[in-house]
Amino acid sequence: MTKKAISRKKAGAQGGSGHKHETGRCLHILQRLSAYIDDELASNVCEEIRRHLGACPNCEVFVESLRHTVALCRHRPTPALSPTDRQALRENILRAARAQAR
Amino acid sequence: MDLIYRYANRLCGEAEAAKDLVQETFLNAYRGFKDFRGDAQISTWLYTIASRACLRMRRKKKGEPERELSLDEFVPTSEGEFRLQIPVDGLTPEEAFQNKELRQALDQAIEKLPRKYRMVLVLRDMEGLSAKEVGTVMGLNERAVKSRLHRARLFVRRELSARGITEGPSEDVRATTQTSGGYDR
Repeated sequence: MTKKAISRKKAGAQGGSGHKHETGRCLHILQRLSAYIDDELASNVCEEIRRHLGACPNCEVFVESLRHTVALCRHRPTPALSPTDRQALRENILRAARAQAR
Repeated sequence: MDLIYRYANRLCGEAEAAKDLVQETFLNAYRGFKDFRGDAQISTWLYTIASRACLRMRRKKKGEPERELSLDEFVPTSEGEFRLQIPVDGLTPEEAFQNKELRQALDQAIEKLPRKYRMVLVLRDMEGLSAKEVGTVMGLNERAVKSRLHRARLFVRRELSARGITEGPSEDVRATTQTSGGYDR
């Protein structure tokens, strides 16, 4: 799908919001959102994005939802190895390594 | 060992496969230790071995190529798709994770990611490596890492949004939220 087609599709989807998207503008912003969240963009680009977000409620909601997603990933706890499993795994590895060394 | 188990668990999504990957990683590290030049941190070297072992184990299991994620597929097409349809507003991630359905939804979304995207997301957003370190582990330049990371995040966002979790947090979580600061900004 071309950028124009995507933009048309997107503009059509937002017809009821009362907000008119500029052609390709939102897609251009979408492409940079991770870099924006990670604070990797030049200050003038950040300013440009902030201006767009201020004028485009859908993009603002979208960037917040992406920010929430990243925060959830960063804080997702994972189960740790139990002491028994750690010991068993260590023994297995040592046994296999010794077998290879022979 | 705990570091690699955590990484393996996040990649594989289940304990037994993660243990197999840890074992494979340390055996490969033992075999290859003489080639370790010390120009990367040992943890980065172990992540690299684990990632390669994970890809090899996957190839043995299934032969089909992994699909590429295109930015086009993440452009929302209806009003509801912009918002994350899950109860997270005003909650810290720790509070939000008291919702079991949310934990499962996130795990399933990450598991559904094609593996090369999942690895980048796990290494960067969950293990906390820099884009440069992820590039070293995966043999990619930083630009490629950032491109994959962005697509992976958009994929997970879309999966969570599509899931539409309606169940809110428990009352005690809501009560503690009144004084908390919400998500990292």
